[in-house]
Amino acid sequence: MKPILRIRRPGAAALLLAWALLPASAPAADPVGAVAQEPLRDPWVPPAARLASNRTPTRGAALQAQVEAKLRRAFDAADVRHAGRLTRAQAQSGGLGFVAAHFEEIDQRREGAVGFEDVRRFLAARGAKPD
Amino acid sequence: MRSAARALPLLALSVLLFSCGGGGGSSAPVYVDPVRYSSLAGSGLASAAELSSVTHHQIVVGGATLAYTATAGHLSAVNPATGRPEASFFYVAYTLDGASAATRPVTFFYNGGPGSASVWLHLGSFGPRRLVTGDPLTTAPTPFPLVDNAQSLLDTSDLVFVDAIGTGFSEAILPNTNSTFWGVDADAAAFRDFIVRYLAASGRQASPLFLFGESYGTTRSAVLANLLETAGVTIHGVVLQSSVLDYNANCGVATGPAVPCTGYLPTYGAIGAWYQLDVPNPPDAGLPAFVSQVEAFATSTYAPALAPYFASGTLPPPATITQLADYTGIGTGAWQANFNFDPASFQSGLVAGTLIGRYDARVSARNGTPLAADGDPSSTFITPSFTSAIGAYLSSELGFTTPSTYTVTSSAIQTWNFAHDGLALPDVIPDLASAFTLNPRLKVLSANGYYDLATPFLQTQGDLARLGVNPGVSLAFYRGGHMTYLDDAARALEKSDLVAFYALALGP
Repeated sequence: MKPILRIRRPGAAALLLAWALLPASAPAADPVGAVAQEPLRDPWVPPAARLASNRTPTRGAALQAQVEAKLRRAFDAADVRHAGRLTRAQAQSGGLGFVAAHFEEIDQRREGAVGFEDVRRFLAARGAKPD
Repeated sequence: MRSAARALPLLALSVLLFSCGGGGGSSAPVYVDPVRYSSLAGSGLASAAELSSVTHHQIVVGGATLAYTATAGHLSAVNPATGRPEASFFYVAYTLDGASAATRPVTFFYNGGPGSASVWLHLGSFGPRRLVTGDPLTTAPTPFPLVDNAQSLLDTSDLVFVDAIGTGFSEAILPNTNSTFWGVDADAAAFRDFIVRYLAASGRQASPLFLFGESYGTTRSAVLANLLETAGVTIHGVVLQSSVLDYNANCGVATGPAVPCTGYLPTYGAIGAWYQLDVPNPPDAGLPAFVSQVEAFATSTYAPALAPYFASGTLPPPATITQLADYTGIGTGAWQANFNFDPASFQSGLVAGTLIGRYDARVSARNGTPLAADGDPSSTFITPSFTSAIGAYLSSELGFTTPSTYTVTSSAIQTWNFAHDGLALPDVIPDLASAFTLNPRLKVLSANGYYDLATPFLQTQGDLARLGVNPGVSLAFYRGGHMTYLDDAARALEKSDLVAFYALALGP
């Protein structure tokens, strides 16, 4: 399954530098006004920090569960009073501008406050709609 | 060129100094920022002013003359929870004169590292000026000349190049220190706060917003896209230049009992073909088809053969080993000795006595020569020119002068907090998935180089495929290295792909 559109694998524009080894240029003199403290190694991880987590990369329902958990954490972080519900102002001041921006659509019952389930319902309904 | 210094409207405190003179006998004022910026882990500014140098220029792109304004200076990112300035970001913005803020896109560019300034994208890719590197040759005159960039993206979007905290002239504001932001989450949150500040300070909140990150900058982009969408800031498009999206699955940055190098195999194939070591060696025009063939082999044969190898050291049948050797130019003995063949071994093992490049494997150097001394001839060749060019460019062309030293690469990577989302090393596909959930109209373009051993394209394809069927994701492949844009032919192709991508992302 290749879900991904390929824009282009570009056609030929061959640079026929065989692999004759070219003479190395001398490094430039000390840079003026800028400094590289270390050679650029991007991406790179220091050896002591390199141990990969032993887990299977998520996809499908497991990936969607991670997405929901992220949103849940953002909702809970904005819900400083632990009321389980947010007004538009609370969402805005709590860093959940997304909820504030879509507040009318999320607050279907016109209660002036929304719970996490309301946000979920909104996202599910919108995600299902053809764009 | 005329130049002027200006303070942004919300500025309360000014420490602006003027001096006259500057390049070309101009009498235009030049902005002197007297602050000494530090890239050290424990450094922070007592306070920060939002000041910039503003200059006017023009270039020709696609036959049209573009008049633009360059703004080089600082804005303070404000922590939304505390309301306090947390870091002073250095940026250079290029804005097209006379454009409508409501419809004109604005794109934020940053390199990665972590700990890298954005000078590579700034002076190498789609800005209005670029360094002539001669990539993939190492015969270009050095230091590289700086020229007008006929492939600048300025015809399509305003461009903001921003340096991470502790790089360039960006520094934390006390009580924070630079190292406060040396972690996946803290860094991305600060970038969010900078972007929010830039959009507000420059009246661009209505402008379509794009992110353009490279390498670790793609890791940052995924986290940042989700943070911005969560905060209610809508993004139109994200360009992932040479991606690293899941460190845990990548044998080039992570170790473990079973981290496969499968994602590198087609890259090895393309590089073997470049050095004419594959059997049979595919013709250059057939590279895309050949690469697809190696991808299929990697997925259907090599990856399954790694499981018994990880479990018990068991090697596959000789035919599989022979096929690997034919596809890559690495001999059968080397495959038998090191069946999960890693990119560092490939760099030193493909051509005897020679080290091939990590960023651009087409660049090579004899062992023992200066270009081979730092482990990547392609990086070693270009680094002095980029390093020396940026300070001179900022002062002589953009009128921004400072007693400080522009930090191209800080030590941040040594102490970076890579933890994210419960894992010790970042997997940011869930962040990208979350951004798509919050904004189903989001578009992502993944740009990849066939000869890039730092962020191989099959690895990126595999990571992005976790998003499932997603018409918002496109991939493009170029005959180039990690910095695909350094190659003249690849840069022209990528520019036209970017124009098409922006049209798609801005479309109805």
